[in-house]
Amino acid sequence: MASHKILVLGLGNTILGDDGVGIRVVREMRRLWAGDPSVELVEASLGGMVLLDLITGFDKVIVVDAIMAEDRKPAGFVYDLSLDDLGALVVPYASHALDLKTTIELGRRLGYKMPATVAIHAVKIEENTLFTEELSPTVAAVVPLLAKRIIQDLDGPHS
Amino acid sequence: MGKKLSINPVTRLEGHGKIEIFLDDQGDVEDAYFQVTELRGFERFCIGRPVEEMPRIVPNICGVCPTPHNMASTKAVDKVYGVEPTITAKLIRQLQYNAFYVEDHFIHFFFLAAPDFVVGPDANPGERNILGVIQKVGMEIAGKVIEVRKRCRDILRLLGSKAPHPEGGLPGGVSRGISEEERAIIKETADYAVEFSKFALQLFKNVVVRNPKYLDLVLDDAYNLNTYYMGMVDDNKCVNFYDGNLRVVNPEGKERALFDPQFYTDHIAEWVEPWTYIRLTYLKVLGWQGLKEGFGSSLYRVGPLARLNASKGMATPEAQAEYEEMYAVLGNKPAHHTLAFHWARLIEALQAAEDMQRIAGDPLLTSKDIRNMNLRLTKKGVGCVEAARGTLIHHYETDDRGLLTKANLIVATQHNAAPICLSVKKAAKAFIKGGEAKEGLLNMVEMAFRAYDPCLGCATHTLPGKMPLEIVLRDREGNVVDRIGRDV
Repeated sequence: MASHKILVLGLGNTILGDDGVGIRVVREMRRLWAGDPSVELVEASLGGMVLLDLITGFDKVIVVDAIMAEDRKPAGFVYDLSLDDLGALVVPYASHALDLKTTIELGRRLGYKMPATVAIHAVKIEENTLFTEELSPTVAAVVPLLAKRIIQDLDGPHS
Repeated sequence: MGKKLSINPVTRLEGHGKIEIFLDDQGDVEDAYFQVTELRGFERFCIGRPVEEMPRIVPNICGVCPTPHNMASTKAVDKVYGVEPTITAKLIRQLQYNAFYVEDHFIHFFFLAAPDFVVGPDANPGERNILGVIQKVGMEIAGKVIEVRKRCRDILRLLGSKAPHPEGGLPGGVSRGISEEERAIIKETADYAVEFSKFALQLFKNVVVRNPKYLDLVLDDAYNLNTYYMGMVDDNKCVNFYDGNLRVVNPEGKERALFDPQFYTDHIAEWVEPWTYIRLTYLKVLGWQGLKEGFGSSLYRVGPLARLNASKGMATPEAQAEYEEMYAVLGNKPAHHTLAFHWARLIEALQAAEDMQRIAGDPLLTSKDIRNMNLRLTKKGVGCVEAARGTLIHHYETDDRGLLTKANLIVATQHNAAPICLSVKKAAKAFIKGGEAKEGLLNMVEMAFRAYDPCLGCATHTLPGKMPLEIVLRDREGNVVDRIGRDV
């Protein structure tokens, strides 16, 4: 489907350790994969309204990011989420707090082309407040596995 | 005598920030505290790096407002290398900075302030957001907000190569010049930004200032806080976002200090409180006086209203006219009304837009002289700018090879952290009584907080899995009475 445009968006901050796992996964994909003309790989340390600029015009967006969750899953566990799995921040406390779901809804209301499908691969992490460019060993081990999984999904039939 | 409660910050914050409100035996507010997530190890992370790497690294400190960090860092590196940027380089840097200001201030206003004032502070939370604002003001206005933002971002992309994470901060200059074709685009954007700024101000005046209910809210004592104020000024003591001295005025508006930011440690000191990770700042000469306002306080505020209070005026004509109108309505200068930060923010956006027009018309904008290469390692530099939220300081020291031996940052939210506590406490005292904290009441408390538009750990991009900002009500014994849901 030549006209089907997909964005793989790795979000994170590479100077805050495991917070940067999303970007690391996208970099690994670049290293492993020859690519596809209908797929764009983007790394971003961005938040708020700027996300709107990045996702406009795509049919599907695959987000790779870190997540902190209060469950018993170990660090490195990958949650496969949809937008509905994320709540919406109804009343932001600051302009830095705009979330992906509200951003997409905003884009739709303004008439921008928003992705029909958003898939989120969220890697569980336990620490993101220490300045370091290193991933923890557990999270680092997940990077090539998740990169390969996404590549396999992309090389299959596009949805 | 009631039980003295101490809050142990060792318990990790689940999100980016927390407000804790303590109730007395009658269920009225006794105290309020504001905590933020501590980002650790920045200095250790930086030590040993070539100092010229910093403008590239520091934009990662904030995913939403990277430009101020890049600019403060670049200016610090100028000082480390003892080099003055060329006139053209300064014009380009100021152009970049003004474009960022216009965009950032409008995003704040339409996403944070407008929901309360356009939709209404008592409205259903499901409507009190940007989507509710669009519903009320219409798609045409919403489209204009997005358009002015897009045009400013296009300039940032032009100048910074990788918007919004700017690159191109070089000691002594900038990495690319401006062509005459680009000047024309810049002028067009500047003109559009000026017109939109005037429109936004008119909207604010129509919706807020001319609505007695809202004006009363702005002037309400619940949102009044008497502090000192600090902001950057030019040689005429007018507001400047990019360069100048820092001016401090007391709660009555008298100048208390005027200093080169290189000497900030002579004027600003940090204080550690057990209940928050953030190091609170205060005016050194007055000593730490605790969390109090008015006479005897050593606290100061930064940010839009603080900058206007600390100055003798705006640097551009139309912004100056708006400044005069604002103070005439508020009745005093300095104005202590926290919600007026929103008004001041719009006036600043107008100045930034007017200044873009000035730069667009400067013959030297397209000069090829964009870099001064007379670098001479001095081993120390302080770079200071007015970030949208307030004064931002980057302080670097190096060894003889230009490798960092020290790196210290003071961000706007740090300057305002103690005043934020007081603002929240005052609003909470006014609106929470008898232990009753309805959603609408809590929003009135949050309005005090949102006026500062604080930056809370936005360096992290982790999906929070839980609420990014938590408001917790506790009784006298510290038991949780209620938590405010801001689920993500």
